[in-house]
Amino acid sequence: MAQPTPIKKDHKLDDYNIATNCNSSFNAALPEWLKSARLNAYTDVQQSGLPTPKWERFKYTNVAQSIKNKNLSYAPADISTERDLNFVTDLTSNLNALPDWAKSFLSSAPAGQEKYQDMALWDINSALFENGLIVNILAHSDQDKPLNLTIKGRNGCHTQPRFLINAGENSHFTINETHEGEGDFWHNGVTQIHVGKNATLRHYRFQSNPDNAVHTQNTAVTIEEGGTYECFTMTMGSGLSRNQIHVSIIGSHAECILNGINLLKHEQIGDTTITIEHKAPNCTSHQNYRSVLNDQSNGIFQGKVHVHQIAQKTDGYQKSDTLLLSDTAQMNTKPELEIYADDVKCSHGTTTGKLEDTPLFYLRSRGIPEDEARALLIQSFLGDITERISDEHIREMAINQVISWLKA
Amino acid sequence: MLKINNLHANIDDTKILKGISLEIPDGEVHAIMGPNGSGKSTLSYVLAGREDYEVTEGSIALDGIDMLELSPEERAAAGIFLAFQYPVEIPGVQGTTFLKTALNAIRKQRGESELDALDFLKLMKQKTKNLGISDEMLKRAVNVGFSGGEKKRNEVLQMAMLDPKFCVLDETDSGLDIDALKIVADGVNAMRAENRSFLVITHYQRLLDYIKPDKVHVLAKGRIVKSGGPELAHELEEKGYAEFLQEAA
Repeated sequence: MAQPTPIKKDHKLDDYNIATNCNSSFNAALPEWLKSARLNAYTDVQQSGLPTPKWERFKYTNVAQSIKNKNLSYAPADISTERDLNFVTDLTSNLNALPDWAKSFLSSAPAGQEKYQDMALWDINSALFENGLIVNILAHSDQDKPLNLTIKGRNGCHTQPRFLINAGENSHFTINETHEGEGDFWHNGVTQIHVGKNATLRHYRFQSNPDNAVHTQNTAVTIEEGGTYECFTMTMGSGLSRNQIHVSIIGSHAECILNGINLLKHEQIGDTTITIEHKAPNCTSHQNYRSVLNDQSNGIFQGKVHVHQIAQKTDGYQKSDTLLLSDTAQMNTKPELEIYADDVKCSHGTTTGKLEDTPLFYLRSRGIPEDEARALLIQSFLGDITERISDEHIREMAINQVISWLKA
Repeated sequence: MLKINNLHANIDDTKILKGISLEIPDGEVHAIMGPNGSGKSTLSYVLAGREDYEVTEGSIALDGIDMLELSPEERAAAGIFLAFQYPVEIPGVQGTTFLKTALNAIRKQRGESELDALDFLKLMKQKTKNLGISDEMLKRAVNVGFSGGEKKRNEVLQMAMLDPKFCVLDETDSGLDIDALKIVADGVNAMRAENRSFLVITHYQRLLDYIKPDKVHVLAKGRIVKSGGPELAHELEEKGYAEFLQEAA
C-alpha cells in the first residue's frame, strides 16, 4: 500500500507567504467541513507567516530562514509501510468517509498551545496535507509485531504528511518510524494520537535526514485513564529539526514517557519542544533526553509541564543532559513547570558538560585506545536513555545507530 | 625490570615528585609508604601515563623501553597496570564488554589475535573463580553500585585478565574490611611470578601483612627518604612518619 505518488509541482513554496499558490488543495473534491478547516488554517498561516526567532518559542530555531533559501515545491509525502495491516489505511482515499474520531482530529487542534507561535507549522500542514495514514488499533487487540513506517523526503520538495492514530481500549501496539531522504527538502509532519483507556502505545522515531533537509514534526497525544504512551525519538539528521510534542493527559492513572537522543554535528540545529498537560489526578509524565553535540551544532530543549488544579498526585519529571564534544557546540535548555495543584511531585534538571578526564584515563589505562575510549564513554552516557526503551529490537537498533554515528 | 631514574613531575606548576629513583627487578614486590600528600598517588598516575601530570625531568623504563614516550594505552600494552584507589564507575557499559574490549585492544597492540567469545569466557571463568566475582556482577555496568570490596576485586580481576608485567596497586586497602582485604591480597599473591613485579602503594602497614614485600621505601615530600626490608614497615607503624617529614624538609 501507499506507494510513492508522483511528484506534483503545482504548489510553489514562496518564502513567508506559504500558501499563495496552494489553492488547488482547496479545490479537491473534499467534504465541506474539511474545506472550512483548511481555510481556517490557511488564514492563520497567512497572518503569522513561518516561525522566526522573534517568536519566543522559536528563539533558537529559525525555520523561516532555513526554508527561505530553498526553492521547494509541494509534493505528497513518500510513505511506505513494511507490511499490510487491515487497520492501517491511506488517508487520501478515505477523506470522504472518515470515522468520527478522525474527523474530530482534523477539525480540531490541541488546546492550550499558543495559537500562532506553536501552531503555525501545524496550520501549514492542515492547509496543505494531501496524504498520510489512518491507524485504527482495535480495542483489546495485542500485536507483537510493530508497524514499521518509512517516510522519505524528496529532493526539491516540501511534504506535509498527516497521521491519525487511535489506540482502542486495552490495545497494545508499537509504531516505528524511520525518516530519511536525499537532497534538499522540508518535511512538515503532523501526527495526532489518541491513547484509549488502559491502552499502551509505543512510538519510536529515527530521523537521519541529510544535512540539507529541514524536519519539523508536530505530535499531539491525548491519553485516557490508565493509558500509557511511550515515545522515543532519535535525532541524527537534518540541518534543522524541530520535534514538537504536546501531550494532554485526561484520565487518571495514565502514564506518559518521552525519551530522546539527539546526536548533532556540523552546523545542525536540533530542537525538542514539549508541553505536557496534566488534566487528571494520579498520573505520571517522565521526560528524559540526552544530547551529544559536536562541531558547531546547536541543541535546544524546551520542556513544559503544566499541572492543572485537578491533577493532584501528579508525578512529573523532566531531565535534559548534554555532552559537548567541541568548544563551539551549544546547548540551550529551557525547563518550565506550571503547577496549579498543591499535592504533586514535580522536578526538572539539566546538565551540560564535557567528557570527564578520569573515566577516559581509566579506560585508556586498560589498553583501550583514546578514540575507542571516548566512543565507549559516549555510549555509556546515552545508555541511560537506550535502556529505557521497552522494545528490545528498537533498543538494539538505537544502540547500533549510536555506534555508527560515533564511527562516522 | 622497572627502572625509575630521577623522576620529577608537576601538576599545574606545583612540584610533586622531586627526583625519585627506584629499581624493581622482575619477581619482586616493593612497597611505597608515606604520609598524605607525599606524592604516592601522583607517582602511580605518572607511571600509568595520566596526562594531567607533566614530567619535567628523569625517566621511566620498563625492560629498557622508555615509558614516557608512550600513551596510557600503549603503556598498558607494554605491561603496566594501575589498580586505582578509586575505581571509576562506567554506567551503561557491561563488565564483560569492558573486559573484552580492553583485553582485545591490548592483544591487538601486542600483535596477538583477538579472542573470540568462547575463549574469552573460558579465560574469564578461570580468573573470576578465586576472586569470588559472580557472573551477575560482570553483567552489571562497570563498578556501578559496587561495594568498596567489589570494586577492588574487580580491579584485581582486570589485572589478572590483562596479564601485565608490572602492577601498581594504589591504596588497594583503602575502604576494605579485613575479609575483603584477604580476598584481594590472595588475588594479588596468586599473580606473583618470576617475570612480574609489583609496586604496592599504601598508607598503612596492614596491607603488607597480606602482600609481603621484598623491599619497603618511604616517600616523603616527593622524595624517597629511606629504603629497607619488610621490617621498615613495622618501624613506621610504631614511630609514624614525623621523623621522615623533618628529614625531607
